This record gives sequence, C-alpha cells and structure tokens, in this order.
Amino acid sequence: MEIVTAFSDGFISSLTPELVLFAGLLLVILIPNLGNSTFRIPSTGIRVPWLLGGKRFALTSDPRLPGYLTCLILAASFILTMLSQASEASVTLIQSDSGMDLLKVDGFSRLFEMLFIGAILAAALASLDRLPTNKSEENDLDSLYNNRRQVDFYILLLTTALGMSIVALAQDLFILFIGLELASLSTYVLVAFQKESKAGSEAGVKYFIVGSVASAVGLYGLSLLYLWAGSLQFDELSAAWNAGAPALALVGLGMVLVGFGFKVSAVPFHFAAPDAYAGASSPVAGLLATASKAMGMLGLIRLLVVIAIPDGAEGSAVWLVTLAVLSAITMTWGNIAALGSDNPKRMLAYSSVAHAGYMLAALTAVGAWRWGHVAAPVGFAEAILGAIAFHLVVLVAFKMGAFLVLALLEMEGGASRLSSLAGLGRREPLLAVCMFIFMLSLAGVPPLAGFLSKFLLIAGIVKMSIGDLSTTVAQDGALSLGSLHWIWWFALLIFINSAISLFYYLRVVVVMFFDEAEDGRKQPLPKGFFIRVTIWGCAIATILFGIGGDALVRLCFAAVENLQL
Amino acid sequence: MGQNAPLKIKEREFILVGLFLILTAAIASLFPNIASPNPNGIIDWISIPLVGFPILSSIVLLAFASQEKASRRTKLDSPVRLACLAFSLVPLGISTALFFDWLAVIDWTNIGYNSYVIKHQYVWIESIGVSWHVGMDGLSFPMVWLTSILVPITIVMTWDEKNGSAYHPLLLLMGGSLIGVFVALDLFMFYVFWELTLIPMFFLILKWGGDERRYAAQKFFIYTFTASVIMLLGLVTLYFLQPIGTGAHYGELTGRTFDMTLLIDSARSGNLDGGTWLGIDMQKAIFLMLMLGFLVKLPAVPFHTWLPDAHVQAPTGGSMLLAGVMLKMGAYGMMRLPVAMFPDALMYYQDLIMIIGLVSLVWGSIVCLGQTNLKRMVAYSSVSHMGIILLGIASMQPIGYAAALFMMFAHGLISPMLFAVCGAFKHHYHSMEIGSMRGMAKWSPFLAVYMMFGWMASLGLPLLAGFVAELMVLLAYWPTYGWWILLPAFVLVITAAFYLWSIQRTIFEGGDEGQPPESLHGETPPDISGHENVAMFLLALLIVLFGVMPFIALDMMNSWSNNLFEMVFAQQGGA
Repeated sequence: MEIVTAFSDGFISSLTPELVLFAGLLLVILIPNLGNSTFRIPSTGIRVPWLLGGKRFALTSDPRLPGYLTCLILAASFILTMLSQASEASVTLIQSDSGMDLLKVDGFSRLFEMLFIGAILAAALASLDRLPTNKSEENDLDSLYNNRRQVDFYILLLTTALGMSIVALAQDLFILFIGLELASLSTYVLVAFQKESKAGSEAGVKYFIVGSVASAVGLYGLSLLYLWAGSLQFDELSAAWNAGAPALALVGLGMVLVGFGFKVSAVPFHFAAPDAYAGASSPVAGLLATASKAMGMLGLIRLLVVIAIPDGAEGSAVWLVTLAVLSAITMTWGNIAALGSDNPKRMLAYSSVAHAGYMLAALTAVGAWRWGHVAAPVGFAEAILGAIAFHLVVLVAFKMGAFLVLALLEMEGGASRLSSLAGLGRREPLLAVCMFIFMLSLAGVPPLAGFLSKFLLIAGIVKMSIGDLSTTVAQDGALSLGSLHWIWWFALLIFINSAISLFYYLRVVVVMFFDEAEDGRKQPLPKGFFIRVTIWGCAIATILFGIGGDALVRLCFAAVENLQL
Repeated sequence: MGQNAPLKIKEREFILVGLFLILTAAIASLFPNIASPNPNGIIDWISIPLVGFPILSSIVLLAFASQEKASRRTKLDSPVRLACLAFSLVPLGISTALFFDWLAVIDWTNIGYNSYVIKHQYVWIESIGVSWHVGMDGLSFPMVWLTSILVPITIVMTWDEKNGSAYHPLLLLMGGSLIGVFVALDLFMFYVFWELTLIPMFFLILKWGGDERRYAAQKFFIYTFTASVIMLLGLVTLYFLQPIGTGAHYGELTGRTFDMTLLIDSARSGNLDGGTWLGIDMQKAIFLMLMLGFLVKLPAVPFHTWLPDAHVQAPTGGSMLLAGVMLKMGAYGMMRLPVAMFPDALMYYQDLIMIIGLVSLVWGSIVCLGQTNLKRMVAYSSVSHMGIILLGIASMQPIGYAAALFMMFAHGLISPMLFAVCGAFKHHYHSMEIGSMRGMAKWSPFLAVYMMFGWMASLGLPLLAGFVAELMVLLAYWPTYGWWILLPAFVLVITAAFYLWSIQRTIFEGGDEGQPPESLHGETPPDISGHENVAMFLLALLIVLFGVMPFIALDMMNSWSNNLFEMVFAQQGGA
C-alpha cells in the first residue's frame, strides 16, 4: 500500500478522476461566461482582452455547451476511474500531515465511484435532450435564462459526482459526512429544479427538510461517536468497537444510521422519497434511486461492517436485530405501497424502497457473521457485500433505464399517470421492449441482470445462514431448517416480496402493450438521440450483465476484498 | 403508401437484425470454450439446433415484424408464419433423427442412471459454478420430442390467427424455451428456462386471449412465478448444503456447483446403504419447497385455480402448448430433482402425494361434470389427468413411474387435440357453451369426428395412447395401496360420464333438426378448415400410433424408471 500525504507528491496522480471532476466543475462555470469584454489599463487607451463577461461568443453562448462539456468531463472521469480500478496494485492511502487517514483509493472505492459517475453520466446524457436547448434570437431573455439554467443543472450534477466520490474514498466519518452533504445539498436543488411546477417545488422543500433533519441527527450521532472514541477514523473506531461499545456509542451509531437510512430510503425514513421522485425530473429521480441510494448503502457498509463488526469469535453485531426488523418492514412496506400507486414514478420510488429492504436484509446477514459457535470465514461476509455491490451496479442499468423511458414521456408532456404509458407498445415498440426488460429485471426474472443480482443476494444470505454446516453435513438426520440461522427466513421473505412486486411491474407491461394510447398521444415520441442511446445502453447492459455477468461478479467480489474484513 | 405496395425491407430492419446479431455474438463470446472439441465424439445437437435456434430465430422474426407499421404488418403475416413453420421443423427433424439413430448411434433404452446422451457442458458463470450443460435421457427425450412435434402442429392448427407475424414467432419461442427446460442439466439454466417459458405464454394469453384475458394472464404469471421463486429458494439452499468441491464446474467463489449430475451423484452417495443425505428434516424441507413449485405448475388441487382461467382465456395455440407441454414441466421437474435426490422424504410424503393426486383426480372430474363451458371442462379434465401422474409417482413402483412418464407423453398428445377441437368449435361457432350447439354431426361432420375421437382418447379408450398410461398407473397402484384402487377406478367412470354427456349434447342431440347456436346469427355453420383438419388428423394419427405401439416411447421410459429404482430406492433399503 502506498501512503501519500495530502497535497504532496503523488497526490495528483492518485486522485486524477476527482481532480478532473473538480477542474471540469470550474470549466463549466467559466466557459459559458467567456465573452468579448476587455479591460482598459487605467490612464491608457490600451484594452486588454479580459474575456470574462461582455457579449458571449457564438460557441460559449450555445445553451447546449454545458451539457456536452459535462458529459465529456464525466466520461473522462469515468474512464480514469475505470483504469485506476483495473490496475490492481494501486491501493493508495492519503493521509494528512499529522498522519491521519483521509482518503483511500482501492478497488472498492473505485468500484463505487464508477457506479456514481456512471449513473450521473447517464442522467446527464439523458438531460441533453431534456432541458429546453433552443438557441433563439440574440439578446433574448429566454435564451439567456435557459442558458443559465443549463449551467446550473450541470454544475449541480458535477458537484453531486464530486461529493459522492469523496464518500467512496473517505476513511474518516467526518470526511464521509462532508462528501455526503455536498452530494445531498446538490440533489436537494436538483429535485427542486422544476420550480415552475408545484410538484417540483413541493418535492424540493419536502426532500430538503426531511433530508436536513436526517443529516442533523446523523451529525449529532457523529459527535456522540467522537465523544466516545475521541476519533472518527474508521480503523480507530473499529478498534474501539472491538474493545466494547457502551450505550453512548450505540446511541451515536443509531443516530448515524438515521442519516444513512434516509439516503437508502429505508422505512421509516422513506416518506419524502416518493414525493421527491415524483416531483423531480425523471433523470434526477433515476439519480436518486441509483447513485444516491448506493451512496447511502456505502455509508451503511462502512459504518456497520467496517466499524461496528466485533472481532471476537462469539456473537454477532449488536445492530443485527434492529436492522433485521427495519429490512423486513422496508421491503414489505415498499412493495405494498407500490401496489397502490398509479404514478409510475411513485411506483418506482416504492420499488426502490423495497430494493433497499432487500439490501438491508443482506447487510443483516453480514451481521449474523460468526453466529453461534460457528466461526464463518471471511468469505461469507464478502460474498454478501459483493452481492450488494453487484446489485447496486446493475441497478444503475435497469432502474435508471426505467426512469429514462419515463423521461422521454415527460418530454412529450408528462408521465405522472400509469395511463401515460398506454399504447407505448404500438407507438414505440423498441422502447416498450426496453421498458419491459427493465420491469422484468426489477422483478428479478431470469436471465436478466436483476435476477442474477437478487440471486446473489439470496445466495449470500442462505450461505451465511448455513454457515459451515455443509462441511460437516450430518448423515444422522440432525440437520433441519431449525439448525440454520434465522436469517434464512429473510431469504424466504425476499422471495415472497419479489412475487408481490411482480403485480405492479406486470401492470406496467400490460398497460404498455395492451391499452389504447391516451388522446393526443398517438404519435411517436420526441426524437431525443442521446436519451434513446442511453436507454438502449441500459437495456443492453441489463441483458449482458444477466447472461454474462461473470466478469462483473468477479470485479465486485475482488473489490470487496479490499475492505479487509 | 398504397395497400398494394410491394413488401420492401427497410434499412433500419437490416440495422436491427445486425444489432441483434452483434449482441448475439457478444453473448456467445462470453462463453469462452463454446467451440471446444467435445469429449463424446457426438456433435452438440442440442444447444444450437434444439434450443438456441428456435429462440433466436423467433426473436429475430419478432423484432422484424414489430418495426413495421400496422398496415404493412398484415402483409408480413404469411411469410413470417411460413418461416416459423419451417424453423419449427428443424427441432422436429433433429429430435426425430436422433431417435432413429440417423445422426448418432444412441441406445435410448440403455442409458444408465444419471448419465445422459449428447451431453455437453460449457462454462457460463464460473464464479458461482454455473455452466451451460445439456443432455438427454429416457426422461427428457420423450418430452423434447413431444415439444418439437407439437410446435409445428400448433402452428398449422392456428394458421389463420390474427396478427400472425407476432403470434407464430411466440409459439416458436415457447417451443425453444420448453425444450431448454427439458435438456438443462444445470439448476441455474433449468431455472432460467423455467421462467423464460412464462414470457411468451403471458403474451399469448394477453394479446390473443378472450374477454378476461388480462386477469387470466396476470394470474397465470404471478401464480407460477410465486411458486417458482420458492422452488428457487429450495434450490439455493440445496446448493449451499452440498459438500464443497474443487472440480471443473465448481464455482471459484463459492466452491459449489449448480451441475445437476454432480448434485444427483452426491445425493446418491449420501443416500446409499440406508443413509439420509442432509438428514431427514432438511430433506423434507427442501423436498417441500421444490414440490411446491412443481405442484403449482402441474397443477394439483389446491394450487390449480390458475389453470382453468388461463385455458379459457388463452388462444387455441397457447392452450395447446400450455396443456400439452407446459404442465408436464411440473411432473418432469419432480422426477428429475426431488424424487431422485430425496427418496427418504418421498417415502415420508408418499401418502400425502397420493392424496393430493387422488383429490386432483376426483375434484377435477367432479368439477368437470358441472361445467357448461367446453374449454373449462377440458381444462379441469387436465387437472384430473395430472392427478393420475401424481398417483403414479406416489405408487413407488417402477411401473408406476414409467406409467407417469407415459401419461405425460400421452396427455401431451391428447390434450392439444382436445384444445384444438375447442378452438375450432369456438372459431366456427363463436361460442363455448356446451348446450349451445346441438346436432353438430350434421353441420360439421369432421369436427364431430375429431371431437368424438379426442374425447374417447381422453377417457381412455383401449388402443389409444391414454389407455396404456391409465392401465399402467392402476397396475402400479394396486400393490401399494390395495383396495383404495376402487376410488381412482370409479373416478375414471365419472370421466367417461362427463365426456359422453357432452358428446351427446353437442354432437348428436337434436338429430336432423339440430339447431346451430344463436351466436352464428342464422348463418350456416361451416365445417373446419383445411389446415385445422390437417393438424387434428396428425394428432389423431399420433394418438393411435402410440396407443397401438406404446413401446416406441415406453421402452426408454421403462429403462429410466428401472434404473431409478435400482440405483436410488433399492440400494437404499427402502421400497
């Protein structure tokens, strides 16, 4: 492992993707402001071109420019992250001058960065056609206004990416929180971006209030943890936890859980999510459902698995039961609420709640690690975490894809009722087939990516519940379901919930293929090259990762090994 | 564009097909050793010709037709339909040729327990031990054959179905995925195909079904999906309970395998000499989870309620494949997995299975008596026939298993015949009510003959395929359950009653004054059209053929069940 002190040699080379994002952020702020303004050197007639302000150049006043630029920056950052991920030897720890761990670049953090940046790239690509980009007459206030809004939107996307990257890299709870807040504040504004519509502003306010309360509680929990351990470093907290956790630490942990629970939209912190998803534009909702949720999940992994797993051979983590109850309620509630919602975006939001429940159940299983007298090897926990990582990654493909199909419908004039999807099978067969694939994948029907990921989650849970019984399989009839750990029943619960979820996913399919289109919606949908390409990409990824997911599964499992449980 | 504009293939269709081919190539390249030389010296006749080809060609045809405007799509119906028929003849040709040793010399009656012919294995998801593993034995080959026979017949039977450019490719897709279920020797692959069969059937019911099709299609999908996820949980638990291995097809990350043959081997070695693999409690738990999935698919009472709805609403072709092959997936799965792996649990639940089978038989028959809808009656008769299969399994006699297998095969020929008759009846009389048509023999002599023939075959007339199976089940039932045999025997009389009653009311009653149903609005009722005649004739021919010469298929079934008993039950000290 290479250790680098912040802002010294090797700092830039180890953090290139993030620095590209940061430089890009500055560029996106600067470039649309470039104009022909000049600066007259006082008391002379010499005018030096100053370039900032004045009348914009033809290129820089193009409202489409920030979008293209942002996509390029995100793509560059994505590729750099991927290259960094691929080079296995590069584990870099970035420390402060006093030797505190700040950031850690390894396969695990890079995998999550790829996820975040990939999801944001998809949202950015989809937004290229989404926001009004008509280049109208010169000095037209509208065009200026649109131009400004373009920039705002993409700046916020970039800050979200930057914040999420920091969350992925952080080795200190406080730094993690800074990244989380940077990303959260950006998403609050992104949710409220459709300020012309009532739903948009309401969603923004609701999301902001609930989110900031959750953050505040989390921050208070953080201070309690600091009070207890005297540090917020992961390794020091983990060591302190192993030495024994008093009530103070437990309360602190519970409060931090609230902050992350909001991010993954776990019950009972999920109430703002459906409103936020419904009010935000669809690409942003897709972002919340994939990247933002992955960020929360990452935080939970860091908090619960890296810090709060006891080292001793006896007993499981104390949070096991709490999380078990939460996950059971979350998945059931999400699915039942989704059954009754007529708004496809709300439906997807509730389905996102349900998916959070599945992943929480898997995390619960990690908590059951080393249960009873059986000391399960590290591989057991890694299998589950790898499955969670895989699930989060492929979720970007099909959940984002589903939201983008809705985004295309929004461009035409709204996707707030299930009937907006009616007749899509006739109007746009290819698009309808893509949506069909996304729905089946969300429900977990083979051979799509959603099936493989759910399968791996279940497999992880079952593996953990069986422990090492299979190596000592008794011939004497001693083995029964009762001799498995009780988390086995969570696998059953996930399956039952998958079956329930099929109702509402199939309803979308039925409406798409077998209902007559609404009046005035018989024509093909708006063109939108980029968004269509992104949807196709998502659909192809959903199929490919389902049929040939081997490479990605390995990648995720290898990444998880970096956690060094 | 005018109505008579020539059919022109547009660029984007080429692009679409090209994209599809690229995607296929990309997927194929994920299987690194797909071109590896095979160990047996027999070409892989299964993966591509029997499974891959029908599925891929149907997807190409569907994509092709879906890009057309609705006005032009009708022009595509006839070429697409022809292509489907031609493509569906490929699996039929291959499987028939395999049976007659034209492609490879295979002794179907001497395959041996847990060994398979034309066995090929390719790496798929190495990290968790999934492989693409195909092969056939005396259990699966008759089912594959049956499927490949039924698909072209179904296409011919429903030749003039509306929206044929989508309908017939879906039938082809259905056929390919059904064959996939039967040839899969890997649990993961088995499950993938198991679920894949739902998708074309869902669309067939939803798009071409009757008035209540939406309800029926969703009920069908959700019912069977729920059952199969519970089955999957059983499979996953089984997967992690097997001993860790290090062979070629064991997962790198998990140390376990989804390979069915390896699993069956370890189950067998665990069950040898009075042992109980995994312990009896665990066997019972997994046995129940697997059986739930299979019983719902079969379907057995009380899990049968999706079937009448699905059948009544499904189009003729959908019903034919649903009753003909899809129900058999349940029985096939039972024989392949729980029966072979958990003999102790099977013995424990033997009586329960017998009772479920008996209740299905009785309940199905009695409900039949009260039906006024022709198709619903036939659907319930399927439930009752599936009960006979369960009786065969519960008998725990080699002949009972062979009988259950032959029942699957025979019912796979007879029930499509029944649904074809129902479909033709609906098609020409626009009604499904049994009493609505009287004296059909006068108006539609051909349909009347086929109906009579089908009904007779279904109630078990000697010299027809159904009789052999029913007789054998009763033979197996006697040594195990003794005088209880009177119950199924009596129920077979009820079966005869409702069939004869419906024949009497539909075909003969009314004599020369028979009235065509009101739904025809005074038109002269037509007889069946030529293609329907051809399809039903072929089915009738096959039913007679396998009734007179059952040994064609029965020999390999006998050998399979004898092997099973010798290797699983007898060595274990039970039965």
